Amino acid sequence: MALLEVEDLKKSFLSPTGKMEMVLHIPAFSLEERSQVALEGASGSGKTTFLHLLAGVLPADSGQITMAGHFLHLLGEEARDRLRAKEIGYVFQSFNLLSGFSCLENLTLAMNLGGQADPQHAQTLLHAVGLYDRMNHRPHQLSIGQQQRVAIARALVNKPKLVLADEPTGNLDPANTDRSLSLLRSLCEEWESSLILVSHDTRVIRQFEQNIRWEELNQIKRDEEILQIQEDVA
Amino acid sequence: MMDLGVSLKLAWRAIRQNLLTSWITVFTVALAGGLFLGAWKTNQSVRLAFAQSACGFDAVLGARGSQLQLVLNALFHLENSPGNLDWSHYEMIRDHPGVSEAYPFALGDNYLGYRLVGTMPEMFIEHQWKEGKNYHVLPPGRIFSENVKEALVGARVAERLGLELGDRFHPYHGLEYSPDRKHEDIYLVVGILQATGTPSDQVIWIPLMGVQRMEGHDPDEANSISGVLLNLKGSSGLALDVKYNKQGDQATLAWPVPAILSSFFNRFSWLERSVAALALLMALVGGLIILASLRSTMHERRREFAVLRCMGASRSVVTASILWQSIILSFFGALGSLIFYLFLSFTVSSIIHLQIGVGMDLPLFDLAALYTFLGILLLGLLSAWLPSRQLYKNSLQETLQPSG
Repeated sequence: MALLEVEDLKKSFLSPTGKMEMVLHIPAFSLEERSQVALEGASGSGKTTFLHLLAGVLPADSGQITMAGHFLHLLGEEARDRLRAKEIGYVFQSFNLLSGFSCLENLTLAMNLGGQADPQHAQTLLHAVGLYDRMNHRPHQLSIGQQQRVAIARALVNKPKLVLADEPTGNLDPANTDRSLSLLRSLCEEWESSLILVSHDTRVIRQFEQNIRWEELNQIKRDEEILQIQEDVA
Repeated sequence: MMDLGVSLKLAWRAIRQNLLTSWITVFTVALAGGLFLGAWKTNQSVRLAFAQSACGFDAVLGARGSQLQLVLNALFHLENSPGNLDWSHYEMIRDHPGVSEAYPFALGDNYLGYRLVGTMPEMFIEHQWKEGKNYHVLPPGRIFSENVKEALVGARVAERLGLELGDRFHPYHGLEYSPDRKHEDIYLVVGILQATGTPSDQVIWIPLMGVQRMEGHDPDEANSISGVLLNLKGSSGLALDVKYNKQGDQATLAWPVPAILSSFFNRFSWLERSVAALALLMALVGGLIILASLRSTMHERRREFAVLRCMGASRSVVTASILWQSIILSFFGALGSLIFYLFLSFTVSSIIHLQIGVGMDLPLFDLAALYTFLGILLLGLLSAWLPSRQLYKNSLQETLQPSG
């Protein structure tokens, strides 16, 4: 059963020259429940924008996004915020832990936004990522790898249906990359969360059974190419 | 409710994370608010205190001259006497049907800088220095007797000079203390007045004859007095004003005392206006400090806000966190301003009481304090309005700088 379905999704931004520039056009995309997919593509090609659209952080210009029965494109911003807090976990390349909060507080704050904080559950999750003994540490007191493990725990603390990981291993060395990736995938599996991971690292991409080249998914490049061909022919 | 808790938590953390900036902001706001309240209230309180410290007299009759000088000299024991009056002036006004109380007084000597004021012992029995309040002599002391070299010491003088019952002292000539102008006369302390919080506490009271006939004084002036302290009946002040000030040319009636004091304070209105302008400027600085502090925090927290939005925090949660941060800083600033105002009032009232003997009553939690408190909170909210509005409109796309 599909958790996520995308149809004819388009997004444009105002370019520095003052023109509206379309950065994303996804004719169709779907993701099954409890599945894990990797999106491979070059930097600056609109992958993060795609994740923001799926998370409801940004509104689409047109098209449809259906997530767990919710029509995201029909929801107002407040409703998208609530849905995101409860059903979507986000992992960033630069971890983005809240520096004023301890590891445990980073998790409980995410739970607060999701509806209710359960410190016991947050502690269990920190135990699962091997940081139970560091739960009261601030992010700056942790190593890079440990920070990313807290970020993974935070993304999963509300048992989301969907986890979006934006270059989660981009700042990690190979050993930490493997550990974090394995942790993220196994926790998603354990919590029955679907995972969309964006990366330009082929070593990471290869670990996924299901991987998609961004250039194949996003039609913008193709449209431009076709336009160029048409101009050349003319 | 949960959102409120989250935004409060975020605001509190931001304050703790920028503890030094937060302290500086709170301190500056407290300073500005305290000065503002001080400028507003102290001026009123000083005027009120002076008006209440006229020791229950409506008017003063004295030598021809300035009414203000007469009031300051007779009631506040400041400045020099404008001159002397003949005893007959006292008898004439005492017998006037419009006068309910008349006590002659004479000045001219001091003891270690504290003035000796000669008057009649009846004043300490009959006169109410405040409505319903007579003078009280601390037991086992008593009021001085007429024609005897006895002294009744004001509470403040007794405290400062350590004078006790049975002590003897030599007065010094003049209103300013000069060691080489010691009189031969010796006075015996027979009583100490209970504190009144008025200038009466700042002087040593002796019999009128004592000053008039002090060794070394001009024998020709033995029948003269410095003035007469008066309480008038009904509207007789108007008639006496015409008689002494408009038609007469020998004496001056200083009446009504509050109006004369008011004219005194009006001389310093330029100072009051300057202080008020300074206070307003300080309030403006306080607001700008909050704004600058929030802007600086916001710049540092831009990414944090974006991350929170990605975690599901609504725009209103992150915006409210900025507003809360400002409200918390303003709240502590407002609290600090009350404390600073209390300190300022205490210092000013102590100085005035020490120098003049005028006791100031400065209620901390009156309407002015409440308005200042609420004003600071409002200022904090207004200061947070711009940054929070900017934050509300902030585009996540720009902040998170997508990597792909």
